[in-house]
Amino acid sequence: MNRVLHGLGAAPGVAMAPPWIYQPPPSRGGDRLKLDQASRLAAQELEALARRLRDAGRIEEAGILDAQALIAADPELLQAAARAVAAGNRDSEAILAAGDEQASVLEALDDELIAARAADVRDVAARIARLVRGETPPSLERRSIAVAVDLPPSVTAELDSQLLVGIALEAGSPTSHAAILSRALGIPAIFGVTGLLEESARASLLAIDGEAGTVAIDPDAADRERLDAAITARRAAEAEDAKLIDAPLCTRDGHRVMLSANIGEPWQAAPAAAAGAEGIGLFRTEFMFMGRSSAPSVAAQQAAYAEALTPFAGRPVVIRLLDVGGDKDLPYLALAPEPNPFLGVRAIRLAEKHRPLLVDQLRAVVAAAGSSHNVHVMAPMVGDRADVEVLRELVFEAGGADADLKVGIMVELPAAVVLADQLAEAADFVSIGTNDLTQYLLAADRTNPALARSQDPMHPAVLRSIRSVIAAAHARGIPAAVCGEMAGDPDGAIALTGLGIDELSMDPRSFGRVKRALARVTRDEAALIAERACNAASAAEARAVVAQPGQLAEVAP
Amino acid sequence: MPSITLEIRNRSGLHARPAALFVQTAMRFEADVTLANMDRDRRKSSSARSLLGVLGLGVSRGHRIRIEANGTDADEALASLRAMVESGLGEPVVGEAES
Repeated sequence: MNRVLHGLGAAPGVAMAPPWIYQPPPSRGGDRLKLDQASRLAAQELEALARRLRDAGRIEEAGILDAQALIAADPELLQAAARAVAAGNRDSEAILAAGDEQASVLEALDDELIAARAADVRDVAARIARLVRGETPPSLERRSIAVAVDLPPSVTAELDSQLLVGIALEAGSPTSHAAILSRALGIPAIFGVTGLLEESARASLLAIDGEAGTVAIDPDAADRERLDAAITARRAAEAEDAKLIDAPLCTRDGHRVMLSANIGEPWQAAPAAAAGAEGIGLFRTEFMFMGRSSAPSVAAQQAAYAEALTPFAGRPVVIRLLDVGGDKDLPYLALAPEPNPFLGVRAIRLAEKHRPLLVDQLRAVVAAAGSSHNVHVMAPMVGDRADVEVLRELVFEAGGADADLKVGIMVELPAAVVLADQLAEAADFVSIGTNDLTQYLLAADRTNPALARSQDPMHPAVLRSIRSVIAAAHARGIPAAVCGEMAGDPDGAIALTGLGIDELSMDPRSFGRVKRALARVTRDEAALIAERACNAASAAEARAVVAQPGQLAEVAP
Repeated sequence: MPSITLEIRNRSGLHARPAALFVQTAMRFEADVTLANMDRDRRKSSSARSLLGVLGLGVSRGHRIRIEANGTDADEALASLRAMVESGLGEPVVGEAES
């Protein structure tokens, strides 16, 4: 491969096509159309686009364009533009200035749901300016991967969805229009790719991998073949998984395990429900708090949590309290730098100094929960019963006493394993975070590649810890779940089922393979496998036990 | 001039889509409709035909808005907007069971 650039995978999938590079048009050339005509034309264009998207089932984008159509003809915007014309600006400059002015008004409102519309105002102004200058709208001529710094909705809506096979951006965020578009079309997207435009300008072919977050520039024949094979294999796997959507997660003899989804953003809830999730086992909430200069408002958080709850009405949704500090910094918390962030002031430990932050988050959860009785909150990094009491106090302070919230803990500290009986007494449910538990139990940094052998949750020490946590939970009559990557690993899922786990929560992309894996064993076989794995000499040996259940006869007690 | 005061009870307030729906409803009538947010700056009012103006009032859930209408079909406009707001502007009304 000639050259590979890296970014953040924003939507999964693999695509290979020539780049189509979008750059905002430079502001030069004379005006061709009067402002009022251009504004009417823009509103008509936007209404037509909204209709077309709605007919294509792209409802979310259609709603955005309906609002944009109203903005295009908005008296406030046009009056502001008229003022700028009177001040001596050309029409095309005046409308851009008016868009900026009106966008700033919304941004100054201290209400982020409204401030988010500022980008729409600027985008509409850019569309009107384009019409004033008589420029043609962007269009694709062949199957392409769209490449840009960012793609505004006026561009994403115009692109022919039959020809757009992928998106790669230098900027971009999971809540951007480009992200919405890629999800709506089911095409891969990669954001935050530095140097992308410069490299793509000379390229005739790009290959993007939405899972790996890579953009290959001009892949050679061997790479092209490999990518083609990957695309074909992926389609085949998706077709296999689709057949299992309605099948429950169970062993060959019908022992059921609850199947839940891990999500990191609210929009992921609806596709998770469609993929067959029975609930949300882990909703990571960091997404709202990162990359900004102040904490999100209660109203904005509430709207985000409500979006995740809606597709799972009545079914359990576990919202995890903010897990930041240490390696995940938030500038507005002014956290002191720590020499050892993974052992630092993280998660529930922030309750001491940043109580309002956590109480506000729980207020938003309580408000979003409304009258639903199946909303759970869970604290990470719990180490003893006092931590559970802190969590309950926070919930009480947030008005959660009347809201019937279930309060649970993540088991990821060795201390929580040792004290599992006490914690199970104090909490309503437990969920084992196998990624951190493995790291802390085996004293092996997750990010250090030299320690790979000590980063596998199939390690007997981890398995035995899980066994004792499940036993403690069941002794107190509460359920135990696993929400780490182990749950979505076929070997891990079999071992966990053998240990008696009640719920496995994972990325919905793992649903199919985990269902297939579990259906290969009976409950008793899984229990025997788990028993042997707990007695293995290493993680590798434990995996060998799962891989060769044929040897089970020898170990039957 | 006929006027009504309503509490906004849909989930996200007069933001984006709910606000657009509100403006589209107001535009169906001849009457000039204006509104003000009684829980922010009640002297600041906006035409109901301007989405930017309506967004600029910063109406969140729980805020009360005062709507005034002036024109031949003022009463119908107000009745229509009241029904729209009370039905939640296309969103669930918080406080009632959501499903």
